[in-house]
Amino acid sequence: MLKLRNAIPQRFSKSGYLKLQRYISALYITGDKANENYVTLQPHLDFAGTFNDRSALEKSIRNRGLKISLERVLGKYQKYLTHHEELRRLDGEREAISQQLKTLAKAGAAAKELDELKDRGKSLRNDVKALKQILYPIEDDFIHDFLHLPNRLHANCPDTGDERLVYRHLLPENTQQVPSTSHLERNDLIHFVDNNRYYMMKQAAHFDVNSMQALARYFVKQANFLQTANPDFVRCVLMEANATPLEHYHMVKEDNLQNKLNVAYLTGGGAFESFLGAMTKLCVYSSVLPLRYVCCGRSYSRAEAKLHGPLPSLYTATQTNAVQSFMATQTADEADAQLEEILNLAADFYKALDIPFRIVYVGADMLTPSESLRASLEVYAPSLQRYVCVGRISNYSDFVSKRILLSMRREKHYDFLHLVGGPVLYTTRLIAALIEHGIPLESCKLLGSNELDTKKTFQQDLQEFKNLFK
Amino acid sequence: MGMKLLTKVHELLRLGRLIATAMSRTKTTHAHDPELVVTSEHLDLDMLERNVELRHHKNNMPKIRNLMKALQEGNEEVRSQLNAELEQLPNATHPRLLNYNNKPRELAYYGQDKPPTSVKEFSELCRVLNLCRMDHLGNYTGHKSYYLSGQLAMLEQAIIQYALRSVTDHGFELISVPDILPKEVIESCGMRTEGERTQVYKLDTGECLSGTSEMALAGYFANKVLDEEELPLKVTAVSRCFRAETSSLQEEKGIYRVHQFTKVEMFAICTPQQSEIELEEFKNIELALFKQLGINFRLLDMPPCELGAPAYQKYDIEAWMPGRNMWGEISSCSNCTDYQAKRLNIKYKQKTGGKLAFAHTINGTATAIPRLLIALIESHQRAGNVDLPAVLVPFMDGRQIIAKDKRIPETKLVKSIKVS
Repeated sequence: MLKLRNAIPQRFSKSGYLKLQRYISALYITGDKANENYVTLQPHLDFAGTFNDRSALEKSIRNRGLKISLERVLGKYQKYLTHHEELRRLDGEREAISQQLKTLAKAGAAAKELDELKDRGKSLRNDVKALKQILYPIEDDFIHDFLHLPNRLHANCPDTGDERLVYRHLLPENTQQVPSTSHLERNDLIHFVDNNRYYMMKQAAHFDVNSMQALARYFVKQANFLQTANPDFVRCVLMEANATPLEHYHMVKEDNLQNKLNVAYLTGGGAFESFLGAMTKLCVYSSVLPLRYVCCGRSYSRAEAKLHGPLPSLYTATQTNAVQSFMATQTADEADAQLEEILNLAADFYKALDIPFRIVYVGADMLTPSESLRASLEVYAPSLQRYVCVGRISNYSDFVSKRILLSMRREKHYDFLHLVGGPVLYTTRLIAALIEHGIPLESCKLLGSNELDTKKTFQQDLQEFKNLFK
Repeated sequence: MGMKLLTKVHELLRLGRLIATAMSRTKTTHAHDPELVVTSEHLDLDMLERNVELRHHKNNMPKIRNLMKALQEGNEEVRSQLNAELEQLPNATHPRLLNYNNKPRELAYYGQDKPPTSVKEFSELCRVLNLCRMDHLGNYTGHKSYYLSGQLAMLEQAIIQYALRSVTDHGFELISVPDILPKEVIESCGMRTEGERTQVYKLDTGECLSGTSEMALAGYFANKVLDEEELPLKVTAVSRCFRAETSSLQEEKGIYRVHQFTKVEMFAICTPQQSEIELEEFKNIELALFKQLGINFRLLDMPPCELGAPAYQKYDIEAWMPGRNMWGEISSCSNCTDYQAKRLNIKYKQKTGGKLAFAHTINGTATAIPRLLIALIESHQRAGNVDLPAVLVPFMDGRQIIAKDKRIPETKLVKSIKVS
């Protein structure tokens, strides 16, 4: 049976999720359990890199509101190191003896001398075995704590409870008045059953598909992104690698699951985690960097339902069409530049819709442990009288790539890539806000739309024709 | 909902009438004559059983006989059990199909006289062009999961746009549908959610993942009463479809049979008088869609044993996949008559007399992405690249050819990384 490990400290955070107890990790499996659990991925555990700036790590833990005692983790690390050192010493000694044995045997040494050495070797082997048995629980305890340590915070990340405005287009009108009617009143466009089930009709349905396709196309045409189509399920090992709280997604029950630890979650192909499958263990050449991907798909996240409640509506719905972005760069500076570029592209798109829109860097307590910075794309929701998130772009630095082994080969070195990405559009929430603002969905200007091109060409042609008579 | 329909039946005779309604259609060519529904009081269990056998359906008639006997003897407790068994019975069968001998009948072939053979298979060509990845993903994104990249991912969206434009031009209203559904809705459509070989994925909440948007659409109209003037009511949806079924058959390798895919579905609610005509319209829309894509395909009229539980009749469209050297089903359409409507309580108010009657439902695939991609890519390869059919070019930013894109990294994987 698997040993139950210490429960992760529980906490409520501002983003409203409660961390549940997890007893064992799919991401890191110690040798004694490897027989019964297939090791699918050996994450690169960068102890030195993680602990070399203790104050930065401490600040990250504190600002995120995590109840982790770094002191304790470091204590466990020391214990782990000591035992490992001892193991290394024993292994070295064994190696030396076996070498000695070979040399002496060749030289025709006395049998007694050889036997003595053999006995030493045997006793050392038993010592190693015994030490390993002691080490497994120590390793288990430390590594799991280590995996729960958060990424460092980006210099731009505001402190707890704070947010920093990066961009704003239009201001909401009459915010002091009574909340305007909810989008759910539009029975002709929306039939809402519950957070898992809603229908959209007429122009709302068309906008649902068209806006997603248009924005992806805008990224492809305007900024040379590569389009992909991604799978809907993501297994636990990648959820852990990305430090995604498991309660953000529905778990899928599978009848013939071989590795019981590595269950699947319904993320949707339009989720960031879904990109990670194609990136796991991938080693690329610098010629393809930076990787710039965009994808259309569903997203089935229940992460922000509480944030946009309390009443269930399209703002809290689990399913939505989404445009998801994913970028990988060689350096941190390049990652910053990519984040900026993607925010500019997104700002263009929302500006064209002429809806109160803003981009904010959210406070550290809103981040998942792998994010170092999150820019939230928000539109104003009149019925809620607050901004709701229609997308978010995060910087993960090289935290996630180390765990999934996404790297670039440089001579004999591997550089772990810096990741930036996230949804640029959740159609459902945008549709709700547009309806509440009274903006007709059918006449919205969608950047990247096929039809916009056609219209533009027509207008250009008309202008050229007119110019002939000037 | 569906269960209510049968649990509300107070007398056995009434039950009998319901079954006889379904059976009357196997006996007559006037399949949808509502008069027959009213007049037929004779319950022919033997005929029901013959229909079950004809369709190779699980034969629960002996059980039904016993339960009916028990009920007649006054054992009220078996009523719900009997209802559950009756729910499992298949729809009646179109009389045209009775002598098909379990073989589909080819009604038409569209395409070249000599379709190509022995060209590169989809996965092989995609590996060369780096357009699709399926290998080493099981532990991360699940068994048989796949990524489409570059032009192939764009082609998916192009096909969706092309299909939507075509069906909306034919008067279908687009609806956004949920992919997570309560199991009752799925069962009402004639899919089982329990048991060893269920095709339905379940979530930790007990809800299920939709296998086709037909389920969500049927659920949307559940318990609705429509005016006859509104019919036929035609809707379409783009959705993700989830199928737990798996296959290790060589001919179903690659993305031929996958657990998740995108589909544009057509669905109609109509009167019994309209349903056969409507099915023909569905079929014609499908044929027109595929003709313009320049693939070789054939139209099949499916025999009783291939109808599943809900269909009264069904057409399949199979495309020639020259890389696999086989025919593969890429589309189908079915007339479910009142089978789903009864289970979902979808009724309409008759124009004359205002009486309520069960509607008929039709469903059909406009495009299911993975197999259509196979047919397109295998059929249109030329000199190592792929030509795009003219109708898709406007949706692909004017691009006419799919060729290798060097920006897509090769799948070079490491086992572990040790940093010194």
